[in-house]
Amino acid sequence: MIRLEKVNKYFYKGEPREVHALRDIDLNIEKGEFTLFSGPSGCGKTTLLNAIGALDSIDSGQIYLDDKEIGSLNEEERTRIRLEEMGFVFQAYNLVPVLTVEENIGFVMRLRGFSDEEIKQRVLEVASMLEIDNKLQTLPNALSGGQQQRVAVARAVAGKPKIILADEPTANLDSKNSKALMDMMKELNKKEEISIIFASHDDYIMENVRRVVTLNDGRIVDV
Amino acid sequence: MFKLIVKMAWKNSFLRLSRTLLVIIMIAVSMSMMLGIQGLYDGMADTMIDKNRRSGSGDVSIFAKGYRVNKDLQYRIKNADELSAEIKKIEGVKELVLRVKAEGLLSTARKSSFASMQGIDLRAEESFGDFSEFLKEGEINLEGQGALIGLELAKRLKVTIGSKLVFSTQDSSGEINSIALRIRAIMQTTNIVLDTNAIFIDAKKMHRFLGTDSSEATQIAIMTADKKTNDLLKANFSDLDVKSFLQLQPMMKQMQDVMIIFNSITFFIVMTVVFIGILGVMYVSVLDRIREFGIAMGIGMQYRYIRIQICLEALFVGFIGYLGGALLGALFLLYLRDYGLDLSAFSDALEMWGYASTIKGTIKISYFTTTFAAIISASLFSVFIPLRKIKRLNPIEVIKAEK
Repeated sequence: MIRLEKVNKYFYKGEPREVHALRDIDLNIEKGEFTLFSGPSGCGKTTLLNAIGALDSIDSGQIYLDDKEIGSLNEEERTRIRLEEMGFVFQAYNLVPVLTVEENIGFVMRLRGFSDEEIKQRVLEVASMLEIDNKLQTLPNALSGGQQQRVAVARAVAGKPKIILADEPTANLDSKNSKALMDMMKELNKKEEISIIFASHDDYIMENVRRVVTLNDGRIVDV
Repeated sequence: MFKLIVKMAWKNSFLRLSRTLLVIIMIAVSMSMMLGIQGLYDGMADTMIDKNRRSGSGDVSIFAKGYRVNKDLQYRIKNADELSAEIKKIEGVKELVLRVKAEGLLSTARKSSFASMQGIDLRAEESFGDFSEFLKEGEINLEGQGALIGLELAKRLKVTIGSKLVFSTQDSSGEINSIALRIRAIMQTTNIVLDTNAIFIDAKKMHRFLGTDSSEATQIAIMTADKKTNDLLKANFSDLDVKSFLQLQPMMKQMQDVMIIFNSITFFIVMTVVFIGILGVMYVSVLDRIREFGIAMGIGMQYRYIRIQICLEALFVGFIGYLGGALLGALFLLYLRDYGLDLSAFSDALEMWGYASTIKGTIKISYFTTTFAAIISASLFSVFIPLRKIKRLNPIEVIKAEK
């Protein structure tokens, strides 16, 4: 489903402070896989996640999503790929503060042009699964951190993306909420057959994913 | 999606309530002030033009050819009564008056001055231009030796109500003739020519004094419904000298133009302030939410939706400001129209320039339509810079920055 071939990424290229963030990365991620990018801080796990998520460009190599090369797309095409194929969960939740939980969950679906009926049905389904169906008319700032992160997950999942990318999704959560989130993601992975990639150094996540890709100094050192 | 964007734009417009309200108040207050100033400028010009029309030339004046150059009685309209009956039949002619004028010397026992004496029919003048409204002092009475005098001429000759005067001029037979008069009223028309030179007596007495027939006149002043009637009069009486108001009083046109320039300058200054106000609030608002836009773009929101959202936010602020400004401005203009701005403290200077001491405002629909168009344009222009900031935004920079 996702294939990376000789992917290289530099920061401050050509400058004295140049950083070689990703070095000849070759990687395959199959449909429905639950993968964790692990490694010490600065090892390149977030950079790799952003490259796969079409958020960041690469300097050489290829990234294929279902045999479509996405590494060399322009910004507009990358935006479209992110909208239609991917779901994102960020460390800081990043919900739209002026929209209700229901509207936040349905936001990506609206961008993708789903009908009102489809959105309503899917939002209810996902909200029930994540146990936030009693908060649908609430504004995000009235929710706890754990609840906000569930809304963020619901937003990422609602549009039925092929892949969900989550960068340190448990960093702002306590252990109880981290565990709950991880359990929900596992369930989603199982029920919806969505590929999930986490970038994290949370031990609980490491223990609960099927596959751990360890990076060090921009290289994959263990798969 | 559009419904959601409208909701986001509306809610975000008032996310920082006090900031947005301040800008709305700024727009409303500056716009209402501008409307008031526009109304006053136009009111000054319109009042002056209206009084000049009513007291002088009307919308169109007809003279015998050669009269306006020579001001001699031999160039009078000899069949003025027949002509006026014919003119009255023309559709679009509202009112008309016949006047007989003679230029000469007006003297008291100690002073004398050039003057233009006008023989008028008081009833016809009242119907033509509410002549009694120009009364400054005394009583409008032309019986016996009664005469009405222009304010500035009265000041120049140092005459008051009851003063005796002698007017001398050349009559229709070419002889120098004089008439004794007594001032019954002082008139202020704000028509500089009349106020500084005119003395009014009864038309019949004027005819007797000049030896002219009551069917004759030197001027036929006409009020018309529209410009089409003016053109028709010009075409129908081409053997006479037919002139429109602005042809006879080109200074009025210049004054109107000067007022338009003043209004345009005020308009430009206020709209610049509005533009900067909305630009400021939009720029700060976008900077406040730059992370939100970056994340939205990160999860796949296209720039065109953000552009619509920002434009709507600016339009909401501008439009609400406009509504407030239109409401305040309308109240201000209604007050100025009904009560005017009392500048009696400066009446001498104002009267010298032909203005009334209480300036009444004018209300025109165009004030509101042009301001609406300008505020909407200012709102839309004001988002260029904030939108450029977002367009250059790389979602990954925002996502990295939050970590």
